[in-house]
Order: sequence, then structure tokens, then C-alpha cells
Amino acid sequence: MPSAESPPATRGRPFREGLLALDPPRLLGSRCAGCGATAFPARAFCPACRTGVVEPAELSTSGRVHSFTVVRQAPPGTEVPYTLAWVDLPADEVRLMAQVVGVAPEAVELDMPVDLELTTFGTADDGTELVGFRFRATVAVAA
Amino acid sequence: MSLAPAHVAGVGMVRFGKYPADVMLEAMALGAAREALADAGADLAAVDGLYVGHVFGGPVAGQRIAAQLGLDGRPVSNHENYCASGATAIREAWVALAAGLHDVALVIGVEKMTDRVAGGVRPDPGDLDAAVGYVMAAGHAMSARRYLADHGATREQIAAVAVKNHAHSVHNPWAQYRKPISLEQVLGARPIAEPLGLLDCSPISDGAAAVVLCTPAGLRRLGLGSTGPRVLGVGLVSGTVQTGLGDLNAEDVSRRAGEEAWRLSGVGPDDIDLVEMHDCFTIAEIVRMEGLGLVPHGRGAAWAAEGVTALGGRLPVNPSGGLLSRGHPVGATGAAQVCELTWQLRGTAGGRQVDGARAALAYCKGGTVNGTDGGSVTTVVMTA
Repeated sequence: MPSAESPPATRGRPFREGLLALDPPRLLGSRCAGCGATAFPARAFCPACRTGVVEPAELSTSGRVHSFTVVRQAPPGTEVPYTLAWVDLPADEVRLMAQVVGVAPEAVELDMPVDLELTTFGTADDGTELVGFRFRATVAVAA
Repeated sequence: MSLAPAHVAGVGMVRFGKYPADVMLEAMALGAAREALADAGADLAAVDGLYVGHVFGGPVAGQRIAAQLGLDGRPVSNHENYCASGATAIREAWVALAAGLHDVALVIGVEKMTDRVAGGVRPDPGDLDAAVGYVMAAGHAMSARRYLADHGATREQIAAVAVKNHAHSVHNPWAQYRKPISLEQVLGARPIAEPLGLLDCSPISDGAAAVVLCTPAGLRRLGLGSTGPRVLGVGLVSGTVQTGLGDLNAEDVSRRAGEEAWRLSGVGPDDIDLVEMHDCFTIAEIVRMEGLGLVPHGRGAAWAAEGVTALGGRLPVNPSGGLLSRGHPVGATGAAQVCELTWQLRGTAGGRQVDGARAALAYCKGGTVNGTDGGSVTTVVMTA
């Protein structure tokens, strides 16, 4: 796997309130009680039918890569390369953007299965670790 | 038509490019404004209001410009819609003219980027996409990879957009880059966000462009008998929150922006003779033209490679050279597109003239918002 990869997060707090749960690791979205559409991050309205009442929803941790890129140039302060992907969660019919690790950039493929993993997104002013999310290739791939 | 058209009395630009750090944003704006006012034969005293589009210019950049230009005291407003800022300023001026608030409005799009932006542009740090490492090039790269897989298009066809637009720019004295490039150069360029390389990306640029817009009374004030090109309408939409696992390149936001353009202008897609399209990246020109309905879904890359969208083709796109060649000082781009449309519709575009151009469209897309299919999209429709 890429040497620049940071370790999975084990403690701390979500880097945005309401975005994810730490134990067990889950992304938190919203689901419409009317039409069933799921949104991530959670929204106060249903973006699909616009009329239904929405409820909190824990999302599936199993995804697949719908599209991806290997970012080779980024503004100063961002280490490259890294793999950024549109990840589909088929069980929830949710598509979200996240980094993918555990696979060398040249080995990433469309439809590759990936699993949710929490990771550090930095440190708060009070020293607490801020926990974010990424996805890891389900099947170990030679880096 | 819902609102009265705005007459374009004058346009002007400073050449886009990389200027030294001590060339101030205000100086570039003044350069473009004076060109546009001279083109209109207008004195400063004739100008009722100033509309300024910019992103990185800082607080009250428009008023700083007005104080140096000699428009101090007038109503001045600053408009930020990321890369659609200049076009948004034009829309607000058009609305003010149609509402009877002004008869002569000056619009300036301006940006000084090279001394304050490095490595590419990205969303606001508060946006969730920024937190996961999103940069604009990455979004377009993922669009391109999906387009290749879904439509059987080739990398070479996408690269053809850059070759085409740089070939056009040879004839544009206002363009940052005026040299033709080869397909091999595009394919062999340093990778930025795979599959896109350096020559698939518009540059970080400095520049300014200005437009004098008038009501019929304003034209009389300026002593202009001939009406010249008109802005019939400027559509503005924002992205919608997406759900489901649909086509990543559906470009519904472009479809809606197109519908706004046709609704506001009374012009239809079949009437359009040329397009200035926001080609911040090669693939963006392709999917946005498809979203507007001006190119069949999945055919945009092939059309670029076959020359359909080149000068001399059935529907020329970016005769100016587009953002890829003219440069992309983000707040200035929308105003520069209207300068190009004006020259094309006057028949004064020289070696890049689209023969017989009577109606034209300019499209800008500005910014991204997590979970949506875009920030802002503007569509300017003009006729000769």
C-alpha cells in the first residue's frame, strides 16, 4: 500500500458532527420515509421527492468504485499522489466521494469492491484526533 | 421574451496571461474598462452603475476599481459565483437595465490569480469534498474516466478538444497561449489527475474583460445609431442535490441552464451558430455541450475529433481558443466570452471568425458543492 498512508483511526471524535459513528464505524446519512431515497451527508429534506419526512440512517460499509483518478498535482500542503474515487454503496443507492487506499494507484479498477474505514482527518485545537473516512480495497492487491 | 435585451455598446480586454505581482488587479480592470468605454465611445459620465465579477479580489474590489477609474460615488456591486462570476455580473447588469434602474452599465470581470493561487483550485475548505482531497482537476478526471467507459470514446478524442482550441487561439490576440499543439503533446503531457494531463487543464491566469451594456435610451445617450449585438438573456441555475447511482455525466445542471437560456431569449438550440464553452478541462467541453443538448449524448468526444466543433465545422465551439488557450482568470472568463461573442457577431473576429454568425451562446460553470451536480451555471444568449 502507499507509504504515505496514515493509520486507521481508533479514537477521537468525528471531524464533522453527525457525519459518522465511531463504534462500529458507520457513515451517517438520512433516509426518506416516503420514497426511501438515501442521502449522504444527512439532509433535513429529501432531495429526491422533496416531500417526505427524513430519518437518520446508518449506511452500508460495502462499496464499489464507480470512477476514480490518481491525483498527481494538488495545492501546496497536500501530499500526492492519492487515489480519489466516486464510491457507490449499492445497498443504499448512495454515491459519495472518498479516497481509496490499500491498492496501488495503477491497480485501481472500475467496479473494484471497497470497504469503509475510518482515518484521521487532523487534530482539533484541544488535541483531540478528528476522525474522517476513506475506503480500502476489499481484496488485498499488490502495491 | 421575459425581459428586454441589453445592447452591447462596447467590449474590451487586457490580454490574459501571467502578470508580475506588482501589476495590480485594479490596473488590469482599468485597462479592460478603458478599452470597452473607448469601443463604445462612452465617457465615464455616461455610466450609471458598475458590476464587477471576481473571486479572489478581496472585499470591495469593485469599489477599489471605481475609485481609480473615476466611477466613485456610483452604485457598485461585487459578484462571486466562482468561475461564473463575470457572467453573473453581466446577468445582474442586464436585469438592472431591463428594470429601468440604469441606461448604461459597465461590467468588469477581473482576476489576479498567479500571485495567490498555486497547484490548482479547489472548493471552499468548509465543503465536505475539500476535506476528502477534492481538487477541480480530480472531478473532471473522474468524469473523463467514466465517459471513456460508458461511451466507447478514446483518450485521443478527449485530447482533440485541446488540439482544436489551441489551433483556434493562434488567431486570438487576447489569448494567453497562441501556439498550436499536437495530439502527441497532449497525450504525453505531465499527468495532473489521471487520465487528464497538463494540456487537458486550463491555466491559472491573470486578466480582465469589460462590457458596456445599454438600454435603447443608453445608446442614444452615447450617440450610437447602430444597435449592434444584443444580450437577449442570461440564464442562471445552481446544482441540485443528487441521489441514486445514475449517469455521472448526466449534466442535468447544464440541461436546465440551457432551458433557461432558450426560455429567456426566445432563441432555440437550432439557431446557435457558435458556442463559447467553459472548457476548464477538455472533458468539460464535451459533457457540457451534451448536457445543453447541442451535441448528442455520448458523441461529444467523437465530434471534437471529427472537426464538427472546429472552426469551419457544423457547430464551432470556442473559436477564441477557450479557457484552455485564452487562459482562465476565473472572474474574468464570463466577460471575456461576451467580448468574443460580440466580435463574432459584429464579424470582426479576424482569422477566427465564424462565417455568418447570427446567434451565439456563452456558458460558464462556477464552483462545486458537495453532493450536487455543480455550483453555478450561466448561459448568455446573444444575437447580431
